[in-house]
Amino acid sequence: MTDIVLDNVSVKRGASIVLDSLTLALSERRVAVLGANGSGKTTFVKLLNGLVLPTAGRLMVAGLDVARDVHAVRRRVSFVFQNPDNQIVFPIVREDLAFGLRNRGMAKDEIADRTATVLARLGIAHLADRQVHGLSGGEKQLVALAAAMVTGPSLIVFDEPTTHLDLRNRNRIRAVIGEMAEDAVIVTHDLELARDCERAVVIADGRIGFDGCPAAAIDWYVGRCS
Amino acid sequence: MIGSLYHPGDTPLHRIPAAAKLGFLFAAGLALFLTDSPAPLAAAAAAAALLLAATGAPARSLWRQLRAVALIIALVFAANLAFADAGTAFAVLCRLSALVMAAMTVTVTTRTSDMLEAVERGLSPLGRMGLANPAKVGLAVALTLRFVPEIFGHYREIRDAQAARGIAASPLAILVPLVVRNLKAAEDIAAAIDARGFGAPRDGASPKERHRP
Ligand SMILES: Nc1ncnc2c1ncn2[C@@H]1O[C@H](COP(=O)(O)OP(=O)(O)OP(=O)(O)O)[C@@H](O)[C@H]1O
Ligand SMILES: [Mg+2]
Repeated sequence: MTDIVLDNVSVKRGASIVLDSLTLALSERRVAVLGANGSGKTTFVKLLNGLVLPTAGRLMVAGLDVARDVHAVRRRVSFVFQNPDNQIVFPIVREDLAFGLRNRGMAKDEIADRTATVLARLGIAHLADRQVHGLSGGEKQLVALAAAMVTGPSLIVFDEPTTHLDLRNRNRIRAVIGEMAEDAVIVTHDLELARDCERAVVIADGRIGFDGCPAAAIDWYVGRCS
Repeated sequence: MIGSLYHPGDTPLHRIPAAAKLGFLFAAGLALFLTDSPAPLAAAAAAAALLLAATGAPARSLWRQLRAVALIIALVFAANLAFADAGTAFAVLCRLSALVMAAMTVTVTTRTSDMLEAVERGLSPLGRMGLANPAKVGLAVALTLRFVPEIFGHYREIRDAQAARGIAASPLAILVPLVVRNLKAAEDIAAAIDARGFGAPRDGASPKERHRP
């Protein structure tokens, strides 16, 4: 498991406070993050690999201070964005998976090995030489996940991984997340996906509205929305 | 289906090494700006069109990829016609068309991975001198190849959406939403590139380098 410890973490954007003094310790293997649109979920998870830095407070991930060791943190934490279109940066699937590995200075044949292993693990070996542009939404989401996995992180952060998917692909992603060895923090509006987790945190107006087991968190969240 | 810039094939153009094609493209690009006279520029455009035809890629798919660029070239042509003279406008038209078709000939016949390797290898002396960052240039090339088809796709969607609402096709009405949408995407893409460790110290880096911010 990957320990995440927030100590009075705030994020300000100009004059507005997006996240307000969050204090939280997470060590579960599956954590769901719920909350209304604009409540600060994406900002919260972007903190976890230094895409957003705290403007106040301290955030430790796997014993590392994110503000000081951002590159070391990014080696341990991969990020799967909501829209795979904007996260896949190379035109061919195989090349995209190689990108994160080349950034680590890995040798060519090791890159080829790792890429093939991960594609097989997700059941998309047949997509290796396909043009990204021609893939379906579900295939793109699997490729984005493969690219996140291939670098061997201990934690994978997902920002609404099933939002753009049809039922079949959504179930597939849900199964993959359920089975994978890596830890996961998952922002989602998909309550079933949240129920699969061990813990759920509800963000409300930049604060922690509820924190506990998913069933109770969902009840609290649903109650608030009705 | 737009998208496949690379057209698999086995023409002589496919077999020329990527580095040679890119070198030729670079030289041709420079040469096109050495003259302003219409005759050689027209000859260059015709030659580029012949090369493009020799790639064996279907004309329909080539045209689909060229269409949006053609729109921009047409705008530049019109602007020159309005603010300069017909000779200049024709020369500019030929120069840009030659450049675009030559560049397309290269992308249509060369795999991205081959192209990137050639770019990074070609720039490595400049990299050692600290004048250019080969990895960054390589990434820029890859991003262009990855997102040009995507942007064409957006262009079509916006055009269709406006047609559906009865808005007559006007370049400005399409360009503005297109730019806004792609700026938003660019922000996300930049974050994704950061998240994936681009520019981070590599495993082989010395401890000193490793601690550089
Ligand atoms: N780059 C930015 N500049 C200014 N404000 C921002 C920026 N990014 C986010 N915000 C603001 O911060 C708040 C939280 O945004 P965030 O994206 O974290 O919400 P979210 O919970 O992920 O919402 P959604 O469910 O819609 O994805 C919003 O009010 C948003 O407008
Ligand atoms: Mg969000």
